[in-house]
Amino acid sequence: MTAHNEPADPRPLRAVPNDGYTDWEAVYQDNAAWVYRTLFARVGNRADAEDLTTEVFLAALRPLRLTASVGEVRAYLRATARTVLAAHWRETLGREITSIDDIEQPPESEEAISTAPQRVAHVLERLPDNYRRILESRFLQGNSIKESATKLGISVANAKVLQHRALRLAAQVNDGGQS
Amino acid sequence: MNARGLRRYVDDLLRGRRPKAFAPDDFEAAQIRTAIELRAARQGPDAADAPDEEFLNGLHRRLAEQMAGAPPEPVPALNTTRRQVIVGTSAAAAAAVTAVSIDRAVMASQTDTPAVAGELKPNTGSWQRVASSSDVPDGRMHPFDLGSVSGFVRRIDGTPQAVSGVCTHQGCRLWFDAPDDRLRCPCHSTSFAPTGEVLTHQLPIAPKPLPALMVREANGVIEVFAPPRPDQPA
Repeated sequence: MTAHNEPADPRPLRAVPNDGYTDWEAVYQDNAAWVYRTLFARVGNRADAEDLTTEVFLAALRPLRLTASVGEVRAYLRATARTVLAAHWRETLGREITSIDDIEQPPESEEAISTAPQRVAHVLERLPDNYRRILESRFLQGNSIKESATKLGISVANAKVLQHRALRLAAQVNDGGQS
Repeated sequence: MNARGLRRYVDDLLRGRRPKAFAPDDFEAAQIRTAIELRAARQGPDAADAPDEEFLNGLHRRLAEQMAGAPPEPVPALNTTRRQVIVGTSAAAAAAVTAVSIDRAVMASQTDTPAVAGELKPNTGSWQRVASSSDVPDGRMHPFDLGSVSGFVRRIDGTPQAVSGVCTHQGCRLWFDAPDDRLRCPCHSTSFAPTGEVLTHQLPIAPKPLPALMVREANGVIEVFAPPRPDQPA
């Protein structure tokens, strides 16, 4: 092609797609953390979150096209995590407890990883004081039932009953807010 | 009702242990959901919401082993059976692969990619004849090949429209399946609407829609704006 055929403002020539990953290790290193956190937010324990993260990458990496853009790879990983999580609930509790939904935000964003903090805050502020305090102590602060009982100035037996009732009410508030 | 199963499940969550399976009813399921969210909302050093270094390194090793057995070119889709055998170190992983394939079929109808790719605007080009107006009655898909660009032109409500005739996945030439009113790729069963949207595919990631071509009609001739032929540089 001769010089006079050059367009007025030629776009820069780029080597390789600079929007993609060079190899599977780059895909793994860039995405493992948010995939794990997305799953942890939906199973609530490390052992299950690690197993499911493992399944996602074992299933997803081999068929992955590296020509795909970063955004496409992440959307694909999130879709894989969705099916892996759905299978986990089918196998363990026989029903879907939590899910990975279609959302506008990019999969690696905080809003996509977990809405648990906002949802929990919404639920807790609607509970009676004692209910809120026992759940905060047990779930958010990680105190034992004995420590929690001491903090609330009640017996261990009462703390157990209080936690049980508080979780029941929180679940009603939570599910009400969901629909 | 399974009060004991629920109590144990919540207790395991609180102790950071793997919870045991049981069959909860609706309300118990709601309580588990709430307990998981409460636990996941924990902040601070024992939140466990970030992956453990040791876990990440172990998984990296495992993936390296899996990928070492991979062919040089990653095979996109189709070979599900073989992949299941390789991935199938755990039955659940195999199930996940199957589930993802199903997901892919479903994804065909979703709009997770823009419905229409941009218009093809070559850096340099000229208006080139692709058909006489009478060759393209309303609704008929008319193929053309300009050497630099090939595609299909058709008339919608009198106005000509043109799309690229090359599959956006790996560049195979599309053919028009008139009874089904869609462009089909002979390579991996991808199909596109005459307007360029992906209708069906079986690839890990949906291919991009077909780019539209700039088209005009004047003096009984339909023309497409295309770069010069590779064998006739302007």
